[in-house]
Amino acid sequence: MSKKITIDPITRIEGHLRIEVEVAGNKVANAWSSGQMFRGIEVILRGRDPRDAPLFAQRT
Amino acid sequence: MKEEKDFYERLSEKGISRRDFMKYCGMLTATMGLSASFIPKVAEVYAAPRQRPPVVWLQFGECTGCSEALLRTMYPWVDELVLEIISLEYHETVMAAAGYQAEDDLKAAVKKYQGKFICIVEGAISTKDNGIYGQIAGKTFLEIANDVCRKAGAVISVGACASYGGIQAAAPNPGGYKGVSDALGIKTVNIPGCPYNPVNLVGTLVNYLLLGKLPDLDDQGRPLFAYGTTVHDQCPRRGHFENDEFIKEFGSKEAEMGYCLYEMGCKGPDTYNNCPTVKYNEGTSFPMQAGHPCIGCSQPNFWDQMTPFFESQ
Repeated sequence: MSKKITIDPITRIEGHLRIEVEVAGNKVANAWSSGQMFRGIEVILRGRDPRDAPLFAQRT
Repeated sequence: MKEEKDFYERLSEKGISRRDFMKYCGMLTATMGLSASFIPKVAEVYAAPRQRPPVVWLQFGECTGCSEALLRTMYPWVDELVLEIISLEYHETVMAAAGYQAEDDLKAAVKKYQGKFICIVEGAISTKDNGIYGQIAGKTFLEIANDVCRKAGAVISVGACASYGGIQAAAPNPGGYKGVSDALGIKTVNIPGCPYNPVNLVGTLVNYLLLGKLPDLDDQGRPLFAYGTTVHDQCPRRGHFENDEFIKEFGSKEAEMGYCLYEMGCKGPDTYNNCPTVKYNEGTSFPMQAGHPCIGCSQPNFWDQMTPFFESQ
């Protein structure tokens, strides 16, 4: 029989992260790591002046 | 009194002289546009706080730059000062708890201080497809903001993202991101910038603790003490602008001589902020001083309105 542990939000990091772990017995049977935010910076960059790119990208 | 004595002793143990602290109070008082006679009163706000307002800091669609600006660049001892004059109940980047325990802390703080806490928001809120592009603990940013912000005494949106939508709201805004005021339809104090100058947030909080009210705001909810004048009107390179002395190329002789950056795309004339006066990193420098044109980062939708950054409009 397995137990699922969810830690969301992971704190003391930059960004929004969700960690789920399936524990069977005393072992980790499965684990998931999921970024919980999508902003689409790559999509936003398309078609813009390339000199602006570093200024956009550094805000990821 | 004893509390003040303890405070100065604590600072001294951290290697901060009373002189350093008074210089900081002087800087803050001047930034707020108050006369020098307020300096000892500002010092008292820190040394013998009469109240520690609870603060809940929410982070949504952001890069955490606004938190980093406050925590890392202000002064090495900002934790001793700023975090002690408020009672920081929730902040995902620094709090000890994680997961369900962090959420319990948030719920408890909102319940205990309902109507009284200051909610500081960093980051924009996704509104497309019911806001599923941003979630914390299984709830969307929109759900969390609707719940927590509406129960706060005041909401302060820090940074371009919380104020106006920020980078993720730039065309074509895939996630349907909006600033807090826009997404919830409520009035917020806005302290925009990318990042904002953290001195302006501290000034706003200290103004509140000192005078019991928020500073005078402009029609966009921005504190007038910080956003009342354009960057161009405070710029040390203004003389070069008036004399038609422009840099045409980075690395040129003109660049070395510190000429005006207008033709390199500087958006200073269209931008309201106090960067040339207060500067960044303990008053070390600001973009034009370092030779980079202003990108207009405290204006609404600057990612679309002020780009291309290196072309003058």
